[in-house]
Amino acid sequence: MVDSYRPLSLKEALDLRADTGAMPFAGGTDLMVRYRYESGAIPDYPRPVMFVNQLDDLRKIRRIDHGLSIGAAVTMTEVLDHDDVPEILKEALLTIAAPGLRNTATIAGNICNASPAGDSICALYALDAGVKLQSPGGERIEPIYQFITGPGKIDLHADEILTEIIIPEDHSTIHLFKKVGTRRANALSKLTLSAVARISDSRIDEIRIAIGAVAPTVVRSLELEKRMEGRSLKEVALEAEDILRDYDALVQPIDDQRSTAVYRKRVAMNLVRHFLLGVVLQQKGA
Amino acid sequence: MNKKISTSIKRVDAGIKTGGAARYIGDIPFDGLLYGKIVRSSRARATIKSVSVPALPEGYYYIDAKDIPSGGRNRIEMIKDDWPVFADEQVRFIGETLGLLVGPDRKELNRLRDEVQVEYEDLTPVFSIEESEALKGGPIHGEDNTYADYRLKKGDPDAAFAKAARVIEDTVRTGFQEHIYMEPQGVVARTEDDGKLGIFFSGQCPFYVRHAVSATMGVPEDQVRVQQAVTGGAFGGKEHYPDVISTPLAVAARKIGKPIGLFFDRVEDISFTPKRHPSVTRFKTALDEEGNILGMDIDVRIDAGAYESCSMVVLQRAIFSVNSVYNIPNVKIRGRAFATNNVPSDAYRGFGAPQGLFAIEAHMSHLARAIKVDELKLKQQYLLKQGDVTVTNGRIHEEVKLPEIIQRIDEMSGYSKKLKEYTPGSWKGVGVSLFNHGSGFTGNGEQEIIKGVVKMRKRADGLVDLLVSNVEMGQGLQTTFRKIAAMVLELPVDSVVYNDPNTDLVPDSGPTCASRSIAVVGYLVQEAAKKLKDRWKESDIVEVRQQYEPPEGLIPWDQANLQGDAYPSYGWGANVIEVEVDPLTYEVTTKGIWAVHDVGVAIDEKVVEGQVDGGIIQALGYGSLEKLEVKEGRFQQKTMADYTIPTTMDFPKIKSALVDNPYEYGPFGAKGAGELVFDGAAAAFADAVQMAINGDVKQIPVTPEYIMEVREDGNN
Repeated sequence: MVDSYRPLSLKEALDLRADTGAMPFAGGTDLMVRYRYESGAIPDYPRPVMFVNQLDDLRKIRRIDHGLSIGAAVTMTEVLDHDDVPEILKEALLTIAAPGLRNTATIAGNICNASPAGDSICALYALDAGVKLQSPGGERIEPIYQFITGPGKIDLHADEILTEIIIPEDHSTIHLFKKVGTRRANALSKLTLSAVARISDSRIDEIRIAIGAVAPTVVRSLELEKRMEGRSLKEVALEAEDILRDYDALVQPIDDQRSTAVYRKRVAMNLVRHFLLGVVLQQKGA
Repeated sequence: MNKKISTSIKRVDAGIKTGGAARYIGDIPFDGLLYGKIVRSSRARATIKSVSVPALPEGYYYIDAKDIPSGGRNRIEMIKDDWPVFADEQVRFIGETLGLLVGPDRKELNRLRDEVQVEYEDLTPVFSIEESEALKGGPIHGEDNTYADYRLKKGDPDAAFAKAARVIEDTVRTGFQEHIYMEPQGVVARTEDDGKLGIFFSGQCPFYVRHAVSATMGVPEDQVRVQQAVTGGAFGGKEHYPDVISTPLAVAARKIGKPIGLFFDRVEDISFTPKRHPSVTRFKTALDEEGNILGMDIDVRIDAGAYESCSMVVLQRAIFSVNSVYNIPNVKIRGRAFATNNVPSDAYRGFGAPQGLFAIEAHMSHLARAIKVDELKLKQQYLLKQGDVTVTNGRIHEEVKLPEIIQRIDEMSGYSKKLKEYTPGSWKGVGVSLFNHGSGFTGNGEQEIIKGVVKMRKRADGLVDLLVSNVEMGQGLQTTFRKIAAMVLELPVDSVVYNDPNTDLVPDSGPTCASRSIAVVGYLVQEAAKKLKDRWKESDIVEVRQQYEPPEGLIPWDQANLQGDAYPSYGWGANVIEVEVDPLTYEVTTKGIWAVHDVGVAIDEKVVEGQVDGGIIQALGYGSLEKLEVKEGRFQQKTMADYTIPTTMDFPKIKSALVDNPYEYGPFGAKGAGELVFDGAAAAFADAVQMAINGDVKQIPVTPEYIMEVREDGNN
């Protein structure tokens, strides 16, 4: 058996979390699979379960200073229906599972599951998103690339709940999202690419490239991005092959039941190359 | 077209299935039901030194070979009886049944199962056809690891090769395929009030189960009563495997005296139930100076897995299909079914034919590419015609309407036009396949093994009982059988009563497989109905019986030498598929699917359309998505997330048509359709991809990973 709770406020939820170590359960679409047992047997949850999908405090999408806050219990469908959500995140969400699952699954759950193949995670890296973590004693905000530390591993303290996803204002002028899944729907990713850039006056003001499922966590290089930012398309074009070689070194996929390392590597690099040479450097004035 | 029989009616089972009222095996309440859990081998090939079962709580039992009653046998009598009910001193695959734990709580059963300690002495296992042929670790079966080794000869192949200007060699491979019937395997066994053993099951062949259980238990067949439950799909996966789980369950039910249910989890079902046989087919084709085909030398090898069960018959159909619709004048064929330490391979829609048909279609397309001729023209040069000789030196007795089928599909799909428009290697392609499928059991199986019987009874209330052992498993038989009987009797369809069969109440009209239900049993239904109509006024209650007789004019079958008419009639078809390949990701987008089939006459157009749509999509899964890898004897894709069958988003709507070609010995002219519709799509898909990437596609599934390999690294 498993103890389960249904707190009525965020405060109660935070107290329960601190007191009992209960797992927050929003859509449950990962937890129910992770802890499922063979048919006819009750699942074994290692800790109490706390249902949070009814908490108003976690059910809001709101504009904040320089960005957007998405509550941890907001479903993927609700995010898709919201006007202020950046396009690249919507494109990523539309590739996740199927409408029925998106009606209950949450982005917060996708983040906390921390699969290297998590599709919304990859887009959130490209959007430079952060997560708000609350405990009875306070709160902190961490960039997603620091919050996720490995496959299935997150920097969440025993008394904390992920309450919000913070997405900075998206000023990108171009973006590319591509999921290579095992099929067209209800599919897990072989790899994903999320990339955004802001180009003005033939100059790269901002660029972020995130590659999912090709390493233990999503690949994003702040260093390589800095190398391109603030420079003209012409300058970057001269160094493009060099930059691609550096990305190539970061892409270290494995063989598994869904695809091969060789395929993941080549296709990931095909997509990065396409974004850089075929999209960014083709912008007007390049 | 016989408008009246072909015009669709509402499916008889539509209401209970869409409304959720249908009772599948797991939905039927049984008082005091206990559950079974199989204790499985964790080794692929080993000698069992000891099995140590933990202390069992009150009400829990461990059942194994020692519990088989005297007079019974620790063997599952299928087509062969080499598969033991409980592993016998040795284990031959991971997942083999060692014993059965029984009790009231499934979680407790899982815990107990995990605590069973087995001591093994490992032997060297083999996991591929190549390792098996090399006799790695010594033979598993016989002296050479082959369950069957057949040779066929037509014409004078040696003379053909002697005068060849050129010989082209080609090797084509096909993979495992899992059935993914919507309802996993399930059986309940209990002792009935009258002392008989009662078996309730999800499956295709009630009399197979009755036979297997009676042999294991050492009781007469009439002491076993088998009742089919509403069955949520089967595709051949419930042809023999229900025997494998009914037999240990019957032993347990008899010993314990309570009803016991065994219901598989999806992961358990994917991990341990049989799959379609993987195959490797090597062609050598002799050509003359002008590129005419003089002869072929074909070597077919299939991975039959750890036990033979029905693999010899699958192999027969594979080698009989490996010349498909082509009349190659001189051919020699060798076929071998190899024993490996993989999960036993068994029946799957098409039963060997899809492997043979994919191989020959791929090879014909490679030939056309090698000698730079139009592929369809090359194929058309060799089409079988009425009276032509088959690879078993039988004859094609019916009119072959392939020319009409090809013309029709070309008009529908624009194949010839697109072939000219698209440049090979431009990431766009169009592919074509031709195929046929013999209806009914291979060789003389219908008259020598099955001897199918149908009964029909006019009741006092004016309704008619249709008594057959064939089952509805999603394919529409509840509707089509009733239509055949009602149409002959000139009664409304709902006057014909056809219940899920119970072996105490119906005669043995044979299993539900091999495209025989309509083509063979449907004809018996029609003939029985004619008899009943003639005798309608005799009495309030009139019962008639109809037994299978082979059609007249066939070349008799010689089973020892596999010579004669392998099948009395064939369904025929053509598929065209158009694709685009993404140059960055090598993912394929299917732009169009076209199909034209000759199934004789459709008993119900919607039912046939359902078969066409389902068969083609299932075959496209086989051809493109359904990668099932075996590593050290374990399937690597064992969830529905990793073993990916197509969703509704993966392929566009199919455009299909039928060409009428009534068959004299089919009901209202109908022939088999259930497997034919699976046979061509994988080859047409592969053909389209190879045009798009301008490289020979030599294996299925054609995954993006494989496309990348062919396109970027070349494989020729």
